[in-house]
Amino acid sequence: MTDVLMAILVAGFTSGALYALATVGLSLVWGSMGMLNMAHAAMLTLGGYVAFTVITSLGLPIALGFAGAIVAGAVAGAILYFAIVRNLLKNDKSTFEANVMIATVGIGIALENAILLTYGGQPLKQPVSIAGTFRLGPLTLPWQNLMIIAVVVVMMVVVSLALGRTRMGRAIRATAQNRDAAQLMGVAVNRVYLQVLMLSGALAGICGVMVSSMTQLSPPLGNDPMLKAFIMCVVAGLGNLPGAVAAALGLALLESFVQYALGARWGFPSLLFVVIAVLIWRPSGLFGRAEIRRM
Amino acid sequence: MTETRPASRSSMSPSAKTDLAISLVLIAAAIALPFMVDSRYILGQIVLALFYATIASQWNLLFGFSGIFSLAQMAIFAFGGYATAMLCFYFGWNVWAALVPGALGAVLFSLVVGLACLRLTGVYVALLTLAIAQTMYLLIVTDTECFVMVGSVCRQFTGGAVGFARFGDLGTRALLRAQWLVGNYAIIAVLFAVTMVFTYAIVKSPIGLAFRALKDNPGYAVARGVNRFQAQLLVFGISAFFTGLAGGFYAAHFQAIGPGVLSMSQLMFIIAIVVVGGVGTFWGPLVGTVVLVLADELMRESGEFRTLGLGLIIALSVVLMPKGLVGRFGDLVHWLARRRASPDSKTAVSNIVQSPAPAGK
Repeated sequence: MTDVLMAILVAGFTSGALYALATVGLSLVWGSMGMLNMAHAAMLTLGGYVAFTVITSLGLPIALGFAGAIVAGAVAGAILYFAIVRNLLKNDKSTFEANVMIATVGIGIALENAILLTYGGQPLKQPVSIAGTFRLGPLTLPWQNLMIIAVVVVMMVVVSLALGRTRMGRAIRATAQNRDAAQLMGVAVNRVYLQVLMLSGALAGICGVMVSSMTQLSPPLGNDPMLKAFIMCVVAGLGNLPGAVAAALGLALLESFVQYALGARWGFPSLLFVVIAVLIWRPSGLFGRAEIRRM
Repeated sequence: MTETRPASRSSMSPSAKTDLAISLVLIAAAIALPFMVDSRYILGQIVLALFYATIASQWNLLFGFSGIFSLAQMAIFAFGGYATAMLCFYFGWNVWAALVPGALGAVLFSLVVGLACLRLTGVYVALLTLAIAQTMYLLIVTDTECFVMVGSVCRQFTGGAVGFARFGDLGTRALLRAQWLVGNYAIIAVLFAVTMVFTYAIVKSPIGLAFRALKDNPGYAVARGVNRFQAQLLVFGISAFFTGLAGGFYAAHFQAIGPGVLSMSQLMFIIAIVVVGGVGTFWGPLVGTVVLVLADELMRESGEFRTLGLGLIIALSVVLMPKGLVGRFGDLVHWLARRRASPDSKTAVSNIVQSPAPAGK
């Protein structure tokens, strides 16, 4: 019984860590610019494939594979900013929310398909993996899962330090709180947007490497974690980073329990029911504050 | 165009006249079409395009006119199709008898979805409806439990990954034999026309005004006494009826329905149609359907680049033409009017520039 429980907990925490990373990337962009990035899933996939290319095809060490994924994600974020977001921000602000979502859906499809055309549809093995298990008293923990949790914790610390301690982070938080006021205080809001998209792209790149190391590389790789990250964002209240991490861990644990108890196909529907129940109870999310809007 | 509105209050407004003229031309073209098209393939694609146009017009009613960013459109379409197919398959109903109950089932489904989602606004609605649509897809595809045995083959309640087939058709094959496709074309064209007429009536009616007010300025609309939740639930149900009905006809026309209609790419195609044609414009979905189906046919030659091209078309048209082709056409008309007016008087210029785009366009 404890074995099963441990297995569920390990699986839940691992996927929770991955979802948290994906959710934070999404939530960061939403919180600071009011933009829902539907291309995030494809950026995740891109990171996984770039790491694969660097390590397998070029024969470079694993650390460089990670670096490649980070750079690729950041570059994708920058391209997204220059090609789409910058142009849409010029238009009426009230249409931005929907337009940017539709445009990033298009970019996401195009990017996923470009990956499919480049690498083919057959699943590939991500070389970033550590074999073996680790024994701690009665517990058996695979190194792979420990590595993922460790990487995610490190990334979370890096993100929270970057947001809390640096000049850039202060500018991002200021823009998130009040874009106009930040601009009037001399924050280059457009540069903040670029930085946020690059940061979230980099997070997506790492997340892609981690997700693919658990399963396999395939072009729709990012879609499943992304869909779950979306509903976790909704539960936590979009734009709330600590809430996003908490919701990701909680829902991932719930999912792995349900998958064990009722079978794999009920995992996602159960998450959905929880989300709907939460939203009926608290329409702006568990940790989201009800927004007071001025007309 | 709109500057003559006060004078024409008693009779039809100019934009309504334009809409009527466009509809008459379209009806004439629709009647002439089967006499001019010989190829079965082309006629088949046109029927498919009519389905797309019907679904897109209903999504436009939701998103373009009422500001509800629902991504459950294909789920509601599929629900209508599945309900019709299952009524025929399990109870042996005639397809024609099952169409309206199927559509009403879709309405019921949409109201449940709406009750769960429409308390929220904006992207929250989009995310939750997307999750619901994906859940429906996953539950159907992973359904492996035997429900009934057909011959020696096990059948799942939802049809599983295969879906339903051979549950009956629209009866045109028995009636018209070789010309059955023309018969189906006529039926689907009538479905599209009826849908458009109802959509027009809704958009122009007082309740349509409420829907648009909620989209343009929710705070103001609510302050003026429009009940947001009720009005949005109503438009959700109305659009679900026609979407579900289209789903039933779709299942009947192809004599099959499967989980494929729930795929992300189908949903994106519908969104692309509305975005390219013009969000919140009455003729936008039709224009978008013509353009995108043609583009899709052209890209079929280059096979594998189809999805890539579609994605880029969506992104580019949002960036380059936020109001779609119809909106761009409106800009062109304004520009021409301004050019013609500019030598005469400066006041007329500012009048035209400030007047909003014609409502019916």
